[in-house]
Amino acid sequence: MDIRFEQAGATFGDRVAVEPLTLSLSERRVAIIGLNGSGKTTFARMINGLVVPTSGRVTVNGSDTASAGESVRRQVGFIFQNPQNQIILPILREDIALGLKSRRLSAAAVDDAIEAILARFGIEHLAARRAHELSGGELQLAALASVLVTDPEIVILDEPTNQLDLRNRALVERTLRTLDETVIVISHDLALIEDFDRVLMFHEGRLLGDGAPRDVIAGYRKIAAA
Amino acid sequence: MNSLYVEGDSFFHRLPPRPKLILLLTASLALFLTRSPLLLGLSAGAAALLYGSLGIGWQQSWIRLRPILLTIAIVALATLVLNSMEEGGVVLLRLTTLMLIAAAVTATVPIGSFIDEITLAARPMERLGLVKAADIGLSVGLVIRFVPEVVLRFQQLRQAHQARGLKVRATTMIVPLIIQTLKSADEIAAAIDARGIRGQRHARNLEDSR
Repeated sequence: MDIRFEQAGATFGDRVAVEPLTLSLSERRVAIIGLNGSGKTTFARMINGLVVPTSGRVTVNGSDTASAGESVRRQVGFIFQNPQNQIILPILREDIALGLKSRRLSAAAVDDAIEAILARFGIEHLAARRAHELSGGELQLAALASVLVTDPEIVILDEPTNQLDLRNRALVERTLRTLDETVIVISHDLALIEDFDRVLMFHEGRLLGDGAPRDVIAGYRKIAAA
Repeated sequence: MNSLYVEGDSFFHRLPPRPKLILLLTASLALFLTRSPLLLGLSAGAAALLYGSLGIGWQQSWIRLRPILLTIAIVALATLVLNSMEEGGVVLLRLTTLMLIAAAVTATVPIGSFIDEITLAARPMERLGLVKAADIGLSVGLVIRFVPEVVLRFQQLRQAHQARGLKVRATTMIVPLIIQTLKSADEIAAAIDARGIRGQRHARNLEDSR
């Protein structure tokens, strides 16, 4: 996995969401932290091309997110903050199938892939359930299944433990540890990311911290307390 | 999210989606070829029987159909006032029949099947280079998926008004309802992009930097 930001920044009108920055990411587990409105979600969305840089460029395994957005999004899955909006169709099996059908796979291949992804997360029993009937943790797993079924190399999760109770939080944390894919997590849950390989900290659109979890989290605590 | 689909084992549930959609299409055309109160009345009766056979129940049916029934009543009343009683009756019977058939179809066809059938039906137009069939299917599916979402948001806004002791007024409901719906639509569009469900599409820079 090779993600590169080359003087890449993003502005919305007059507002600078992410100041131009240069870095590369190749670690398997990367966390992004920062106060609300610090630019971390915009930074993450730049990785899979949902936000294209207004300056510089971002590449994923050599593909430019601005000119090869479709190719990038096949490599980078994204789990949104609110999984209710991530799951497009109400019944889980239908929703997982939606991503596969858009690739024009045969019905048998779609069924096989659905069974495999449900089994991978141990959620076969949820296949026929409606999204609004699922718990917060189950919803996160459903969103993960719907994204990972198309086999992306990288998965980005935006605050995956947000608003979860302790049981569901533990469920999501356990699942994240088992993922083979490269994982990039945006989180306010510092306990979740303390054993990650690398942590980036944003503050007011600028990358202020980049390194091992202990050091960056300590810097973040100072900013949060100021 | 909620869904208009209702699980069941009625005859209409067991029928494949295609004949149901053909029935709906045929009824949509045929009902406008006649003005006979007898024929329209019989059609409305048959549609009511069909809907009743789904086993949805009176209370749930009332909740689901109430907004459309209200709209039909207003249209029929306006037609009656502006034209004639006969014209008003024809409008009432036609639209009620259509509503009942359409409601029966949406209650017995899961959204995924809807998308598949509409996509298949649009394939000939795709071959002519006019449309992307998958986009047409997805659009129809999303419209059906959004109906209960909008109703739910309306109910939540009404409860929020009541919780704060505010009177529920159209003027204070419509703007937040539209904003919430558009915001949600934007997030779902982003999810569709992120999951690569549509084909080629340019990324949009969303005003979102949480």
